[in-house]
Amino acid sequence: MDVVDNLNAVRNGELSRRAFTRSLLAAGVGLMTAPLLPRRAMASNPDEATIFTWGGYDIADFYPSYIEKNGVPPNFSIFGGTEEALTKMRGGFVVDAAHPCNAGLKRWKQSGLFQPIDTSRLSNWGDVMPELVNMAENVDDQGTWMAPFDWGGTSITYRTDLFELEGEESWDMLWDQRYAGRLGSLGSGGDAWWCGAIKAGVPFKDIATDDAFERISAVMREQRPLIRLYSDDTTTLEQALASGEMVAAMTWNSSAVALQYDEVPVKFAKPKEGQLTWVCGIMLHKDAPNVDKAYEMIDAMLSPAAGQFMIGEYGYGHSNARAFDEFDDETLVGLGLSKNPADILGAGHFMIPQDQNWESRMNETFEMIKAGF
Amino acid sequence: MADVQMSSAPSARSQRPSGLRSMLYKSETARGYLLLSPALLVMVVGMLIPFTILIAMSFWTRDGFDFDTTMSMTNYQTAMDVPIYNAFLARSFWISGITTVATVLLCYPMAYYVAFHVHRNKMLWIILMTLPFWTSYLLRVFSWKVILGYEGVINSGLLGLGLIDAPLEFLLYSQTAVIITLAHAWAAFAILPMYVSLEKIDRSLLEAAADLGDGPARRFFRITLPLSIPGVISATFLIFIPTTGDYITPALVGGPNSPMIGNLIQLQFGAVNNWPMGAALSVILTLWIAAVGLVFLFVTRKSQESVV
Repeated sequence: MDVVDNLNAVRNGELSRRAFTRSLLAAGVGLMTAPLLPRRAMASNPDEATIFTWGGYDIADFYPSYIEKNGVPPNFSIFGGTEEALTKMRGGFVVDAAHPCNAGLKRWKQSGLFQPIDTSRLSNWGDVMPELVNMAENVDDQGTWMAPFDWGGTSITYRTDLFELEGEESWDMLWDQRYAGRLGSLGSGGDAWWCGAIKAGVPFKDIATDDAFERISAVMREQRPLIRLYSDDTTTLEQALASGEMVAAMTWNSSAVALQYDEVPVKFAKPKEGQLTWVCGIMLHKDAPNVDKAYEMIDAMLSPAAGQFMIGEYGYGHSNARAFDEFDDETLVGLGLSKNPADILGAGHFMIPQDQNWESRMNETFEMIKAGF
Repeated sequence: MADVQMSSAPSARSQRPSGLRSMLYKSETARGYLLLSPALLVMVVGMLIPFTILIAMSFWTRDGFDFDTTMSMTNYQTAMDVPIYNAFLARSFWISGITTVATVLLCYPMAYYVAFHVHRNKMLWIILMTLPFWTSYLLRVFSWKVILGYEGVINSGLLGLGLIDAPLEFLLYSQTAVIITLAHAWAAFAILPMYVSLEKIDRSLLEAAADLGDGPARRFFRITLPLSIPGVISATFLIFIPTTGDYITPALVGGPNSPMIGNLIQLQFGAVNNWPMGAALSVILTLWIAAVGLVFLFVTRKSQESVV
């Protein structure tokens, strides 16, 4: 039998094009059929619960009791923004649970894709802070739709050594002409538009009016030439702040915590107009294939252990009051949190859920502004 | 002879086989189509039907979460009236035009070298030149982010050599970055067609020209270049068509000033949630690319005729 010796053929200068492509074909067929052989590690186990969540939440530390009971973490699927997530699920993507935020709660309920959560099946439910459970639109006669999981703020992370503050911290920092081309922002309208509303002085209850759209558009157009990058991921902004490429950026508080951990001189601003605050949580899909495991998973996420990880490592608040017991007040204030979420959430501006038409109009307008029109 | 009865004609069954088989016996075309049918089936299901759905969807309009399926030209009207769409189309053609020219100009010498100046192990050279493209497209774009970044290879190198005081900011998050990244990412698609076309040129023509007194430059311009034009044309199409619709590269390295029509279409299907508009933009893009392609073919055919 002739053995095809490609290496020697190359050395002797004998490798013909035909022989080469034949070897490529063999390699391709080999690669394609390899998955048919029994494998030990499966990429996605259909018996485990699947959660559709933001990037950064796909790590085992948030699901300690689930892993204890099942040995493996749940399956993860990642999205970059709630709009993208909802579109995907409406297109037929079925998961067990998803992780939207309170601003989208009304729209997600209206989509008809979710079922109320049976809170009696969650052992940690008693410790969940009632202010978070009772956010607008969450509890109605059909039950509780979203199990609150994390909360935090969106504000400006800025380099204390590079950014010269003129007076108090304020949202004007991101509109500062002195630092044109060195400012950054998260690209999703779901955060940026609301920050624009705070800067424009539009009260959130009026955000659906045409006047609000005009004023916020004007403010965002003013900001656009100053922005170096509208990023979809926090890592890019964090690295830019660390290297000095940007001096200030609109981010979530986890970015400031991460940079401070790396000893970059940054501060998470407390603007005088108020931060933007958000609460996100878990919603259960109507056709969840593994409902029992999904409840185990939600319970794991609400546990104090997961909460301690969230607060300590990410700097976001957790919905379970007991998770805060581990931390002293000083640490919490340093992270921009408090044992009493009402303090923070009340001092900031809480996003008010809007309907789908507003959301689409806002996204269209914001994308036009980002494009320069 | 009389006792030999003419046997009756064979029964109808064997004389005239069933419908399909008779058609096959009679018609070569039908046999051809039957042979092609698996591939045709895949093409119809995989390409024709989705494209028809796309065209149909472009005539619908958005209605909250659903589609309003009454046929209307609203989307096309909007695409013509609202200036953002034409601006994006223009920008996309501009960026991909420059990319195509840059890539073809940079890759032609590489293909020429391997075709004419490499005599042994040509296959190895081709493998080595196209090896970077065996990696993921996305990783190549990310690696350009590393090279062009604020603390990237170029900036650190220039700072270290003392040639600049502060890192160059225009390298990343600009249209320049998009063009550089696209030119590199699609280079393999330029090298291979041009190499094939150059390889096929009859060397005896060049010998004849040399004998008749042409210097190297004249030989190149009068023989090699015109004969390699088919390769250049395929390379141009292979690069221009995909890069016009590219959206990953502008999204990752382009910054706020470079989104192309591909990004706009992706937004319509994602955050803006207006699928009919996205479909209409896709159809418009397809028609424009076809038009540009036809013009280009026409121009080069004219010039080829005048040469040959």
